[in-house]
Amino acid sequence: MSDGTKRLRNLLLTLGVGAIVAVALALVGGTGGAKLNDSLALFAIWGIAAVSLNLINGTTGILSLGHHGFMLVGGYVTALLILPEDARQRISSSARSEMTPFTLGLSVEGWFDALGLHVLTTPETLWVRFLIALFFGGLVAMAFGLIVGIPSLRLKGDYLAIVTFGFGEIIRLTASTSLFKPFTNGALGYSGVPSDFGKSLWWTFALLALTLFVMTKLKYSSHGRALQAIREDEIAAEAMGIGLARHKVMAFALSAFFAGVAGGLWVSYLSAARLDFFLFFLTFFFLVAISVGGTGSYTGVLLGVAVVVFVQQYGDPLERTYSLATWFGLIGVLILAAGIGAGLYRRDRRMRPVWHPLVLGLIGIGAATLLVAIVGQNWAMFDGTFQAFGMRRILLAVLLIVIMAVRPEGIMGRAEFSWAWLLRERKDQPSDEERAQDAWLSGSEMDKEKERARARSDDPLPRSLTEEESPGAHPLLERGTKPKSDGGRRRKRGDDEGSS
Amino acid sequence: MSKTAARASARRYPWGWILGLGIPLLVFVRIWYLVAVVGERELASFIGAALLSLQLGSLYALIALGYTMVYGIIRLINFAHGEVFMVGAFISYFLFTGAPFALPWALLWSIVVAWGVMFVLNLWRGRMADPVVLGGGAATLALLAVVLSTSPVNWLVAMLLSMLTTGVLGVLIDRIAYRPLRGAPRISLLITAIAVSFFLQNTGLIVFTRNQTPFRPGTAWTDFLQFDVAGGTVYTSRLVFLIPIVTAVLVVALTLFVTRTRLGKAMRASAQDAEVAQMMGVNVNRVIATTFLLGSMLAAAGGVLWGLNFGSLNQPAVMGILPGIKAFAAAVIGGIGSLPGAVLGGLLLGFLENFVTALFPRSGDFPGITEYKDTFAFALLIVVLLIRPSGIVGEDLSEKV
Repeated sequence: MSDGTKRLRNLLLTLGVGAIVAVALALVGGTGGAKLNDSLALFAIWGIAAVSLNLINGTTGILSLGHHGFMLVGGYVTALLILPEDARQRISSSARSEMTPFTLGLSVEGWFDALGLHVLTTPETLWVRFLIALFFGGLVAMAFGLIVGIPSLRLKGDYLAIVTFGFGEIIRLTASTSLFKPFTNGALGYSGVPSDFGKSLWWTFALLALTLFVMTKLKYSSHGRALQAIREDEIAAEAMGIGLARHKVMAFALSAFFAGVAGGLWVSYLSAARLDFFLFFLTFFFLVAISVGGTGSYTGVLLGVAVVVFVQQYGDPLERTYSLATWFGLIGVLILAAGIGAGLYRRDRRMRPVWHPLVLGLIGIGAATLLVAIVGQNWAMFDGTFQAFGMRRILLAVLLIVIMAVRPEGIMGRAEFSWAWLLRERKDQPSDEERAQDAWLSGSEMDKEKERARARSDDPLPRSLTEEESPGAHPLLERGTKPKSDGGRRRKRGDDEGSS
Repeated sequence: MSKTAARASARRYPWGWILGLGIPLLVFVRIWYLVAVVGERELASFIGAALLSLQLGSLYALIALGYTMVYGIIRLINFAHGEVFMVGAFISYFLFTGAPFALPWALLWSIVVAWGVMFVLNLWRGRMADPVVLGGGAATLALLAVVLSTSPVNWLVAMLLSMLTTGVLGVLIDRIAYRPLRGAPRISLLITAIAVSFFLQNTGLIVFTRNQTPFRPGTAWTDFLQFDVAGGTVYTSRLVFLIPIVTAVLVVALTLFVTRTRLGKAMRASAQDAEVAQMMGVNVNRVIATTFLLGSMLAAAGGVLWGLNFGSLNQPAVMGILPGIKAFAAAVIGGIGSLPGAVLGGLLLGFLENFVTALFPRSGDFPGITEYKDTFAFALLIVVLLIRPSGIVGEDLSEKV
């Protein structure tokens, strides 16, 4: 298959799957339950935010922990601009309102009214106003992203992470001060934000697709390659002529823009804007999604977001009320699992599990606990029930700890999903383009002569050894042993030094 | 390049002197302006604010020591340290409120603490099967089981027990979460620390409480205290003596440990170069465990004093975050990796939060800067990191731990 047909096939496959997804979404929107609808919308919204965070964390290799701050900015701006008239009336008539007439007058509808565009002030064209509000939210968040990006010029690694965390918290803490109260309405926030968009699968998934499109296009553009070069080695990247400052600030700004859009959708999803919707747990969830799915891989991040949303939406059985005996048994099962896991994890030289006495003791305690719970279901000490709020978050935290210890690059690593991978396409045949490049790159006729001679002779040595002998071997011959370009299996991830 | 330039300019301009003398001068002028010219405030209110700053600054210093020690040795910003502080406060709370426990609970607690005692003795004796280690563990177990199941506990005993228990928790965190990642990129380690912090917050919600908890152990140290000075009255509490004194005792003990003992020497060696220290026969993993033990113990002490100071504990999911991150800021401001730097940074942050807000009080239309109090730490952190990442006590001046 030539390149052209392959590209056409991939495009057709993408479009076909997109059409199937669209039909499925339409069916869910029409007939699926509200919970499924909400979960999918949440997946799309958090997907936008996580993918945008991945631009900083995964592609550029800067750990940023202030994403909830950008989302807050975008969310509040969107909410303020789209807030319907009756909600504004309620705020202005409320005694506890912190808004001024000026800030209450900030609305896209009002602007269109002033411009005389009455077509765009009808309820039917709410989507136009919402898109404009989202865009403004993104822009303001982008401005904040530019500000937060500035310290990245001086700082690296964990210090920068703490500073971004500090910025995120500063944004949240100052949003309720008297300086910004007129814009955020203090601790009350806004209620009555139209939820037609945050809960609509069409809009959320369309924006997710747009975000993914922009991000993947960026990843494989020269700017994206520059960002990846910065992740791998800042000094080398700078030596190659990549402007560190420009690229890092650009990454922050773009990421903040999409975080602002996600914030706008999040506000619409919750149909209210309050400061406690934008706590650190959001950034933590995205961090889990990125780490689980694969740092630097956008499709992997979506996989991680699916995991997080699933745990968050369908993990509520974990937080129901159960009898104490059940909890006791659950703890026993956990201890048992931890013991067995620890025993299987540690292997001796022949890869047999090592059953250390401590591990055996752990297993014994777990089994005993489980036994007691089963035998003593009706004992007096197990009278009563218990409800464990926060179990889902604990599960996510444990997931993150385990992932960082066992597979720090995540499920997908840095590889992206591709049709070629799905169809098990062989990579050892060069494409037309690669052939052309090879022909151009291959050196003088003398080299080619040497190659032919080498190809004729039956070389007893393995390919790798001969390659090391002559680094100038023909690229066509190297093809079979060429290491994969994605660093998916590599453990090292943008090693970094502190700023000091 | 920038480093040498900065050093050269530092030689040319004595910034230390300019700031060290200029800022106090500005503060005095401002106080004089507020007291004598405007006449809104009394001198006594500033003395009260200074005492409060000292109190809070000591607390930040206690927490910051844990950050700075861990950072000095494994270069990890221990994001979970604030949560360790929270756990310490809650453990002491449950000790002094529920003290004569049912025997199973008393036994469970005694086992944990006895294990901690054995761990500490093991650091000193070198092996677990030592008679001193085993005897110490057994004695602690027996004594604690009897005491906890029979008599109530006062706040000081609760604090000491909480320190031991929380120290064990710190060691466990290191063993379970951080040790598998030795040698991994520092960012992975930081992400794990964030996960541990999140885990502890939500586990605290389940295990401890979901509500704000009153913290009143019924000691005379929390009594109010007032005295007349400079024509006004200073309102404070006896804690203004207790907290700095406890902090000073713990800091002196820590400094003696680090400078005078073999293990302290091993800590300093590991902080300088862990690999070489290992080659010289230092058991680096044990040193790191000791660091976590000491840091967590100090954090627990800080938690108990924090509870005494505010009279209540915030709910577990939020209690540790702000004090933790502020103490980290204090450690960076003072110069991370340095013990005196952490104390200095903590005190400085305490003064910035309470004394500086007192310098700009609410008057007329101006709402005052109290509502921005929590952002000072972050702002100062960012400024210090941008201008002088080595902190006040620069790297080469300080004694690294």
